[in-house]
Amino acid sequence: MSTPVAESAAVTLSDLAQQTMRELLRVWFDFERRLARVPIVQRLNAGTFTRDDYLRLLLHMRQQVVEGSRWITRCASSFDREHADVRSIVIGHAQAEHRDYEILERDYVTSGGDLERIRRQRRNPGSEALHGYLMHRASEPNPGGMLGAMWIIEGLGEKMAGDWAARIEETLGASRVGTVFLRYHGGNDGAHMEKLYGLLNRLCSNAGVAADMVVVATVVGRLYALQLEEIDLAWQADSSP
Amino acid sequence: MSVYVTSTGSFLPGPQIGNDEIENILGLVHGKRSRLRERILKANGIRARHYAIDHEHRTTHSNADMGIAAVRNCMAAAPLPLRAVGMLSCATTQGDLVIPGFGSMVQSGLEMSEIELHTTHGICSSATMALKAAFNNLRVGDQSSALVVASELASRLFKNTRYEAAGLDGSPDFDAEFLRWMLSDGAGAWLLETTARGRCPRIDWIRSFSHADAFPVCMSIGTPTDRGDTRTWQDWPTYADAEAAGALLLRQDVRLLENMVKLGVDGALRLIAEGVLDLGRVDHFLCHYSSHHFKSRIYEMLETCGAAVPYEKWYSNLYTRGNTGCASIMIMLDEFLRDGRCRDGETLLCMVPESGRFNTAYVHMTIVEAE
Repeated sequence: MSTPVAESAAVTLSDLAQQTMRELLRVWFDFERRLARVPIVQRLNAGTFTRDDYLRLLLHMRQQVVEGSRWITRCASSFDREHADVRSIVIGHAQAEHRDYEILERDYVTSGGDLERIRRQRRNPGSEALHGYLMHRASEPNPGGMLGAMWIIEGLGEKMAGDWAARIEETLGASRVGTVFLRYHGGNDGAHMEKLYGLLNRLCSNAGVAADMVVVATVVGRLYALQLEEIDLAWQADSSP
Repeated sequence: MSVYVTSTGSFLPGPQIGNDEIENILGLVHGKRSRLRERILKANGIRARHYAIDHEHRTTHSNADMGIAAVRNCMAAAPLPLRAVGMLSCATTQGDLVIPGFGSMVQSGLEMSEIELHTTHGICSSATMALKAAFNNLRVGDQSSALVVASELASRLFKNTRYEAAGLDGSPDFDAEFLRWMLSDGAGAWLLETTARGRCPRIDWIRSFSHADAFPVCMSIGTPTDRGDTRTWQDWPTYADAEAAGALLLRQDVRLLENMVKLGVDGALRLIAEGVLDLGRVDHFLCHYSSHHFKSRIYEMLETCGAAVPYEKWYSNLYTRGNTGCASIMIMLDEFLRDGRCRDGETLLCMVPESGRFNTAYVHMTIVEAE
């Protein structure tokens, strides 16, 4: 199921971590409802999604995927020696994902898109805001609140693999489109979530950091939804997917 | 003003129907056994149910008949006569008549005079809507007693002839067939009063959260088999044309169903955050999950964030009474109270998620002992 808590946590969470988890779950559910109101996602859910929609989705996600490894590595470097254990996990995470965008590009080409076209694509206003916010927060000393960003983005990985990939294949024909990125991302994220629960426990020793996670998760969810809303607006400005 | 449930009743038509008998009553579509039956029954866990139609598809009890019978059962042990009840609040997914409201038909059958009447329209959560209207009516002091009735007669929709008329060729259509193995018939009634009597539940609060703005329709009657056709059932020249297009079939978009689990948990977490709900202090959890499959999904999600309700506190009669839509929660509380399971001071949480277009309702009660 496409929820960050699809796998039950092997880690036993502290009281503060559990309370934070409840808040993060609510932020996630709210984010999912926001996503469901975004036009391109509405078309996906309604079964009226077209191949051009899929190409546009990949086109507009690529920049955020490219930048994804950058904010995660920045985040790692902002943790001091007191947080060396956290830093190790975050570095591992960045390593695992930093070339995901190449898979996305191959899917774009498999689905009928032009490689030069996707490489040329600039960040849309939502991606611009999302990237700016993530880099800003990741640059702060010991950015424990960034776990909230990982919560949303990893959860979305699960959702793409669990819901979106199958829906896209069903609507467009599995042989006509590449969905390796969507599926690969989700397959990986179960293990990521286990690490995330561990981090939640570790970082929720401080109520301020716990509250910050919820704030960051909320803002990242809003900006991610904006990034997807912009797909339809950009489409009016530049119709070629 | 406090509001108490001072009596409950229910009605389940005909004999218990085991899983092997379902198709004998509903009929074989094009003479063939369903290929989806086993899979759906295994997931929902239902072992027995009741139908208000017989094997020749004659209706043995109308929907209103069942609502009336549930009220008679409720009032048999009630501390006041039916003629003293001031309000009738009724819920159903589909009445016997398209109009007038279902409540009018139940009122007439019960011969209740000059009462305040309310009918809610919806699916599983419509009973909690009817309950809330009655609850609030008593709270503001307009009435001192009200009957809440929920009744469902889904089996009429599941006759093999319906599927054949809709042009289904007998090959599996999961969305159209799913509910055929889920839903059955029955009715429940609760008497609400502003005076506690004996040991009875006091209703503490009723809350609900609807998400129709964020999700597509998940359970419906009225749209055709062709998803690209945006017409609804009254847009065809004749009802026969609408039926042939599949627009009178009851459908469930099964892919969207998991959202019910999330939204059910989301509402609970929201009530916890508001300080309204303390799951750790809930003694009995009456959850209208439509399928056994969802029970563990809800549990696991709550468990992850330390808000799980231990399984021994869960109560459901889904397995032996079937899924009777909006009547389920009414029948469930009736059986629960008759079992004598609760003590003074214990708390009950009822949760009713509706998949129609995603509404989740919660009712919190405390068992009190009248002085």
